[in-house]
Amino acid sequence: METAAPRSIRLSALLTWWPAWLLLALTAAAILAPWIAPLDPDRQNLLARLKAPGFEARGATYWLGSDELGRDILSRLIYGARVSLSVAVLSVLLSGLVGVAVGMAAGYLRGWTETILMRLVDIFLSIPAILLAIITVAVLGPGFVNVILVLALTRWPRYARVAYGQTLAIADRPFVTLARAMGASPLRVLALHILPNIIGPLLVVATLEFGLMVLFEAGLSFLGLGVQPPTASWGSMLSTGRNYVGSAWWIATFPGIALFLLVLSANLIGDRLVDRIGKGR
Amino acid sequence: MLRFLLHRGGQALIAAFGVVTLVFFIQRLTGDPTALLLPETATQADIEAMRATLGLDRPLGVQYLDFLRDMVTFDLGRSFVQNAPAWDIIASRIPQTLQLAAGALAVALLIGLPLGLLMALTRGRAVSRWIMGLVLACQSMPTFWSGIMMILVFGVWLRWLPSSGTGTLAHLVMPSIALGLLSLATYARITRSAVLDELGKDYVRSARARGVGIRRLVSRHLMRNSAIPVISITALEISQLLAGAVIVETVFAWPGLGLLTVQSIAARDFVVVQAVVLLGAFVTIFANLAADILYSVVDPRVRLEGK
Amino acid sequence: MKQTMKGLLAGVALAVLATPALTTAAFARDITIDLAGEPSSLDPHMQWNPDSYYVYRNVFDNLVTRDNAGEIVPQVAIGWEQVSDTEMAFTIREGITFHDGEPLTAEDVVYSVKRITDPEFGSPQLGQFNQIVDATAEGNVVTLTTDGPYPALLAQLVKLSIVPQHVVEEVGAEAFNAAPVGSGPYAFEAWNRGVDVRLTRNDAYWGEAGPFEAAIFRAVPDAATRVADLQAGTADLVVSIDADAGAQLSGNPEVQLLSAPTERVGYVGLNLDKPPFNDLEMRKAASLAIDRQGITDGLLQAGEVPMSQMSSPAHFGYNPDLPLFEYNPEQAAEITVANPDLAGTPATLATAPVFDQRIVQAVQQMLNDVGFNVSISMTDMPTYLGIVRSEPAENSELSFGRWSCACQDADGIAYPTLHSDSSWSRVNVPELDTLLEEARVSLDPEVRQAAYNEVHQIVRDNYYLLPMYQAAVLYGATAELQFEPTANESMFLNRMSIAE
Repeated sequence: METAAPRSIRLSALLTWWPAWLLLALTAAAILAPWIAPLDPDRQNLLARLKAPGFEARGATYWLGSDELGRDILSRLIYGARVSLSVAVLSVLLSGLVGVAVGMAAGYLRGWTETILMRLVDIFLSIPAILLAIITVAVLGPGFVNVILVLALTRWPRYARVAYGQTLAIADRPFVTLARAMGASPLRVLALHILPNIIGPLLVVATLEFGLMVLFEAGLSFLGLGVQPPTASWGSMLSTGRNYVGSAWWIATFPGIALFLLVLSANLIGDRLVDRIGKGR
Repeated sequence: MLRFLLHRGGQALIAAFGVVTLVFFIQRLTGDPTALLLPETATQADIEAMRATLGLDRPLGVQYLDFLRDMVTFDLGRSFVQNAPAWDIIASRIPQTLQLAAGALAVALLIGLPLGLLMALTRGRAVSRWIMGLVLACQSMPTFWSGIMMILVFGVWLRWLPSSGTGTLAHLVMPSIALGLLSLATYARITRSAVLDELGKDYVRSARARGVGIRRLVSRHLMRNSAIPVISITALEISQLLAGAVIVETVFAWPGLGLLTVQSIAARDFVVVQAVVLLGAFVTIFANLAADILYSVVDPRVRLEGK
Repeated sequence: MKQTMKGLLAGVALAVLATPALTTAAFARDITIDLAGEPSSLDPHMQWNPDSYYVYRNVFDNLVTRDNAGEIVPQVAIGWEQVSDTEMAFTIREGITFHDGEPLTAEDVVYSVKRITDPEFGSPQLGQFNQIVDATAEGNVVTLTTDGPYPALLAQLVKLSIVPQHVVEEVGAEAFNAAPVGSGPYAFEAWNRGVDVRLTRNDAYWGEAGPFEAAIFRAVPDAATRVADLQAGTADLVVSIDADAGAQLSGNPEVQLLSAPTERVGYVGLNLDKPPFNDLEMRKAASLAIDRQGITDGLLQAGEVPMSQMSSPAHFGYNPDLPLFEYNPEQAAEITVANPDLAGTPATLATAPVFDQRIVQAVQQMLNDVGFNVSISMTDMPTYLGIVRSEPAENSELSFGRWSCACQDADGIAYPTLHSDSSWSRVNVPELDTLLEEARVSLDPEVRQAAYNEVHQIVRDNYYLLPMYQAAVLYGATAELQFEPTANESMFLNRMSIAE
C-alpha cells in the first residue's frame, strides 16, 4: 500500500518531517563550517563594533552584522552550531550510556545493587544542577569537555529511572528467563535480550533531552560557566546579545532564532516518537 | 499505611543524609570563602586569621563531625558571609520561592491541562498539531532570553507590569509565566495521552453510544481518571520548580532559594549551601511521597505497600 | 495610559501641595536604587564590599571623609594633628547624635577603633586598620597610636564608621547587623532580607540632609534587568552597567548616564617564573601588542584612561610625567618571530565573570595576533582568586585584574601587586621591595612620591606587570537626579539633589 502512495503524499510526508531536515541542515552547516563561514568567527575589529546587518569593512560584508567586539555574527553562528550541537549530542550520549547502564543493572540484578544504585540516583536528583556545575568547573577547570561532563552528571539519573522501570517490567518475561536458563551471562542477557526491547522509550527520552541540553548549555553560558570565550556557542552569543536588545538587536536575534528552531525541531521529533514508540515518560 | 510511611521516611532520611554528606565534602574541594570576604589588600596572615575565625582551619573530619552534631540538634549554623543564622536567611526566601512555584504551577496547570484535553479531543486534526507546536515552542526558548524580552515588552514598553522585584501580585505575573512555560508542555502532553487512554476505554465508548455528551464525560469522568499521571508529574515538577528557578530568579530579581543557592555557592558560603541542599532534598523526597499518597486517594485501586 | 493618569494625578497633588509650602515639594520623593547584590552586612565593621557600603555609609558617619574632589575633609573629626611619628590626635565634633537620640562621643570613636582592630572580632577589614595599636580619649580629643609611622592612616580612616558603643554592647553584633543604629544622614528602617533595605531621612542630621524622604536599595543581579528597571521608571539609580548597556539609554530623555574615573586600575598580571613571560623581551612584546588606547576609546567608552603605572590620578603617588606604553604590533611581532618557540608556549589568561569579558577577549586577540598562544580560562571568583594567589608554579601565565584599595594611595595598590611579601605579587625584586617599604613608612610626602616615581619607572622598564587603564564607574539615573560620581565609588544620598 505505502509503496504505491501517490506523489503528493510523499511530498507532504517530506514536509511534515521538516524538523528532521532542519536538524540535518544544521548538522551539515556545523560540519562544513570552515568552508561556508564567510569570515574568521573569532576575528575582532574594534572599529567595526555593533554594526548592523549588511555592513562592510575591510572588504568583507557582515551579512548579519557584527557583535560587541566587531566579529561577524554569521560566521560565529555557523561555528557556534558546532559547539551547540556537539555539546548536546555528546552529553546525551554520555548521560544516556551511564544512566541506562545503571538503570538496567539495578533493574536486572536487584538486591543490594538495586538499593545502592537507585539511592544514588535519588541523591543525584536532589542535588541542584547548578551546584554540580560550579563544583565541576571549580575542580576540573572550565572548557568544552567539562560542560559536557556537567550536563551528563546532572542528567544521567533520568535515563537510569526509565531504564530501571522498563527493565523491571521485562526481566520476568519468558524470553528473558529462558535465555537466563540457557546459561547466558547477565551482560549477554542485558545487551541482547533486554536492551533491544527497552530502547524505544529510551530513544524518546534522549530526543527530548537533546533539546533540553541545548537550552542547558545556553543557561550555563548565561551563568558564566559555559564554553570558554572567545569560542562561539549559540547560548553564549544569545546571553551576551541580550544586553544589546535596545541598541543592536541583531546580536541576540539570529542566535535566538537558530536556537529556537533547533530546540523546537528536537521537541517535535521527540513528540512524534512519543506517539509512535510509546509514552516514554 | 503507617508501615509504608515509616519505610519511605527512613529511606528519605538516608538519601538526605547522603546528599548533605556529599555536598559537605565536594564543596570544600572548591576553595574557601576567605579570599572573597577579605579586602584585596589582605595579606596571607589576614587570610589565615579569617580561616581560624570561621573554623575552616580545623581538619576536615573534625569539621564534619561538628556539622553532624549541629544537624542532630537542628542547628544549621551561621552564614560565613551574611553574619546571620543560615536558617534566618533561608526562611526569608521561602515565601518568595513558594509564591513563584505556585504561580508557575498555576500557569502550567491552567493552560497545560485544557490544551492537553483539547489536543486529545481534536486528535488527528490540524488543530491538534498546531496546538502541540505552539506548546513545544513555549519551551524552546532559554528563559534568560524570554524573560528579558517580557520585561522589555510588558515592563518597559507597555508598562503594564513592574519590570522586576517582588511585593504585589503584579510582580508575580511575568516570573510565573517565564517559569511556568517550561512545565506547560509536559502537562499538555501528559494530559493528552492520559485522556486518549481513557477515551479508548469501554465505559467511555458505551457512554458515548448512549448519547452522553462529551462535555459531561469530560467533567464527570475523564478529568478525574486522568489525574494520576498529572499528580505524579506535579510531584516531580514541584521539586524542580523549587530548586530550578535560578535563571528566572536572576532575571527578574526574584529573591528565591535558587538565587540564594547560586549566590551562596559563588561566595563559598558552605553553611548556607548545605542548608539549602538539605531543604531541597527533603522537598524532593516528600513531594514524591505525597504523590504516592495522593494516588491512593484519587484512585482507591492503588494500594500503598512497603516496597 | 496608566502612566499618564498617574502623572496627571501627581501633578494635581503637587499643585495643591505646592501652594502652602513650595520648598518642600521636591522633598516628598523617595529614591529607589538598584544594586547588583544584596548588602552582605549593614554593620560597617564587617564586610567592605560595594553593595554593603553603598548602603551603610549613608547610615553612619566616618571619622573623616573625602569631598567630591577627592580631598580628605572633616566629618566626625573636625580637625587632626600629627602629634608624633606614631600618634595622631583628632578633635571630635560636638552635637552629633545617633539615631536613637544619644550623643556621639569621643568614647564611641575609641570604641569603634578598638572594635574593628580586635582580632577576636574577626573583621574582614582588620588588615586595613591593624597598624593602629591604641586609641585613647581625653575630653573631645581622640589619640590614635600606630605601630610605626603610617602615612596612609588618614586615607584608611575615611573608611572608619563610628558606631554607638551603648547600642552595640547592649544588643550584640548580630542584632546590630540586623538593625544598625548610626549617626548618618539616613536612618535604618527595614531590611527585608533578599528583597531590599529601606532607609529614612534623619531630619536631625547635623550636616546637610538628603533630598529624599526615603531610600530603597534593591538587589537586581542581572545588568539587563537593571537597565530595564531604569527605563521602566521602577528604579531611579542603577549601578554596575557598562557603556554598551548605557548606549541603550541614549536618546531617552527620561534617563541619563553619569560616569567618573575611579581609583581602580585594570592590569594584566604576568607570571615571571614561567615561560614565555619570564623573558623580558617577551613581556615587552606583550606590552607592545596591546592597544590600550583602542581598548579605552574604542571598546570601553565610559571615560577610562590608559595607564602605564599601578596608580591613577586619583591616587597619592601617581606620576603624571611617566609616558604611556607604546602600541606597536609590528615591533612586537618582530620580537616573537625571533623566538617563535618561546612566544608559542601555551599561556592561560585567568579571568572571572565579574570582569568585563570584552577586554579579556580583546587582549587575548591582540596577543595572539603578534604570535603568542594565549587561551582564556574563565572560572568563578573564588577559583580565580585561588589561581592568581597561588605559588608561581601553579599560577596562570597571565591574569586580568582590576585593583582598588579604596584608600586612593599608591601604597594600597603598588605594595600588594609588586612587593615580594604579598600573595598577589609575582614580582620578587629587592630594589622594588626597598622602595615600597620606604614609601610605606615615611611621613614626608616628597620622599614617598620620589619612591613611587622610581617604582613606576622600574615596573615600566621591566614590564613586571602590564598596567592597562584607569577604570571608570558608570551609573544610570533618572534625568532629574543630580549626583556627582566620585573616584572612590561612594554613593552619599545627602550629596545628591533633584532638579526641578
